[in-house]
Amino acid sequence: MPTLLRTPREWPRILLARAGAADPTDLDAATRDGAFDALRRVVRELGGTATIATIAESGLRGRGGAGFPAADKWRTAASTFAPRRYVVVNGYGADPSSLTDRTLMERDPFAVLEGAAIAAFAIGASEVLVAVRAEAADAIRTLEAANAAAQDAGFLGYDVLGSGHDIVVSVRPVQGAYMLGEETVLIKALEGKRGQPEQRPPHPAERGLYDLPTVVHNVQTLAAVPWIIRNGADAFKAIGTPNSPGTILVQVRTPSGEGIAEVPLGTPLRDVVALGGRIPSGRSLKAVLVGGPSGGLLPPEVLDTPYAFDTLRAAGAHIGSGSVVVADDRACTVDLGRLLTRFCASEACGKTIPCRIGTRRLVEIADRVAEGRPRPTDPELLEDLSADIVASGLCDHERLTTLPLASGMRYFRSELDEHILHSACPAGVCQPIAVAAGASR
Amino acid sequence: MSFVPGLGLAKGMALTLRRFFEPKVTIMYPEVRLDPAPKFRGRLQLLYDEWGTLKCETCFQCAQACPIECIDMGGIDTRGRYHVHWGAPETYGERREESALRRSGRAVPDPAYQPFAAVDLGKLDAILEDYDHDPDRMLQILEATQAAYGYLPVAALKRISQTTGAWYAMIYGTASYYAHLRFEPPAAEIQKAAVDAHRPPETAYLAALDGALSGSGRRRQRSRPVADA
Repeated sequence: MPTLLRTPREWPRILLARAGAADPTDLDAATRDGAFDALRRVVRELGGTATIATIAESGLRGRGGAGFPAADKWRTAASTFAPRRYVVVNGYGADPSSLTDRTLMERDPFAVLEGAAIAAFAIGASEVLVAVRAEAADAIRTLEAANAAAQDAGFLGYDVLGSGHDIVVSVRPVQGAYMLGEETVLIKALEGKRGQPEQRPPHPAERGLYDLPTVVHNVQTLAAVPWIIRNGADAFKAIGTPNSPGTILVQVRTPSGEGIAEVPLGTPLRDVVALGGRIPSGRSLKAVLVGGPSGGLLPPEVLDTPYAFDTLRAAGAHIGSGSVVVADDRACTVDLGRLLTRFCASEACGKTIPCRIGTRRLVEIADRVAEGRPRPTDPELLEDLSADIVASGLCDHERLTTLPLASGMRYFRSELDEHILHSACPAGVCQPIAVAAGASR
Repeated sequence: MSFVPGLGLAKGMALTLRRFFEPKVTIMYPEVRLDPAPKFRGRLQLLYDEWGTLKCETCFQCAQACPIECIDMGGIDTRGRYHVHWGAPETYGERREESALRRSGRAVPDPAYQPFAAVDLGKLDAILEDYDHDPDRMLQILEATQAAYGYLPVAALKRISQTTGAWYAMIYGTASYYAHLRFEPPAAEIQKAAVDAHRPPETAYLAALDGALSGSGRRRQRSRPVADA
């Protein structure tokens, strides 16, 4: 289990408030700390419409990466006429270098379950599917134990808190593809189909699992819901920025250490990076990879960017999996971009041509730049191809796959030019053919 | 209806001749669009890329979309795995008879699958019973089948298709997508060599990320093509 990083005392703790519990599946201890108070309030006092209004007022946005307003999904699902509705909890955590979602489920399963139950009650769903990566055996065990305890206490299951509503939660281990982190792909996997994304609209909130209205949320989104109900929308809005309120989990990794921390949105990237420890002496920070395999490479000059949905997108990165990786001056941005793009390209599901072929061409271009046989037009080709992929893509996977190389070109153009014009790698990582030939001359 | 013998033929040939001597024109698509016949299906041919390998990567989208399951498929997917899928028996003349039988609802021995059918389907029937023959729980059925047999035998997939009512192409398409499902029994020594050659992308990604970040990239080997990464 990854370590939790020490954060400044004044930073609020919403998601990891109960993370210090000795036994995360101990329902009595959790209820003493306020677990299921919010669900009781929603069921007894607020009702569905007022709950959705509270969430809308709090401005909660989906933590899965795209930052879609949570209340919009709930409202759409609740107002779509259907015999049944579903809540799908996305705990897949596709990025292998980020364990934030898994850690949350292991440390505080009741927050996730309570948030899912509130969402289910608000939209009128009676079934909640928690999709967890099958490799995360600890998270599955914790969730199942917590689910059983909550069912015994009457918080979940049939006739929740005597209200007559059923909220049946089942934990579904899924595995086998990186793409399952995408919501329409996850729905396909839960239906037992080939995991390929679907055209949107209709969004899953209108037609999702088994063609019924489905609200798909990341575990962090749902874990924030009980806190909002307990403390009010205004308290939540006071944290973070006006556009991105609340906190989010990040996994920071620097050459000197790594761990998971809860960070208020809008914190300068510099402070997030500092949580991971100092850069070893004699080294300097060269680039920060924000957002996992499909993230952007940001230089030290833009470290004052607030860590929030819109500001990061404007800077050429995204929140993505919540991973923040610091590379010091031993890393080569061309090599790093090539590695990230290659991972994303090999994980593409192959449904659309821009993804299947376009991302592979991106890798080929980056390969020949790194190996010292570039063509002079390669930078323009990279730019054009990235723009085409973004314009014609079906899901976010292919659009974001262009980010490492695109942001690398935006901020580290001189390093790329050095590769192309002089077949040289300033960091000494790539081994261009021309350098090898020059050495023997 | 004309009674002059050969008039229809002459008319047809006249049209052919006229078209033959007409000037050839390039239609400036997409500004100008021809009106294709409703049953026109484009160029029915699999294309090869510049290295001479088939561009089809057996994604099963066409086989799944085909309403009469007439599409056969064999090829190498993006992960370098070889897939074969046979269409419905009625597409083959010699099997048309049994196909009629099958549609009558009786169980029919299928000669095309006999080489693959040497597995005991009792375990599979128990699994199907557990999952209620529900095609919506296909992934769980497939995982349980693999747990029981060690891999997914073709005969088992056929049986799943028969009893759940899901198309074979759908089942095969699902099974070939997920990295943890396999169609061959795991041979210990082969598997080890294969694991060394084809590391799962996630392991390769993490290892490469470590390398790129700690400066050990200098000693790293030259890159491999995408399919191997």
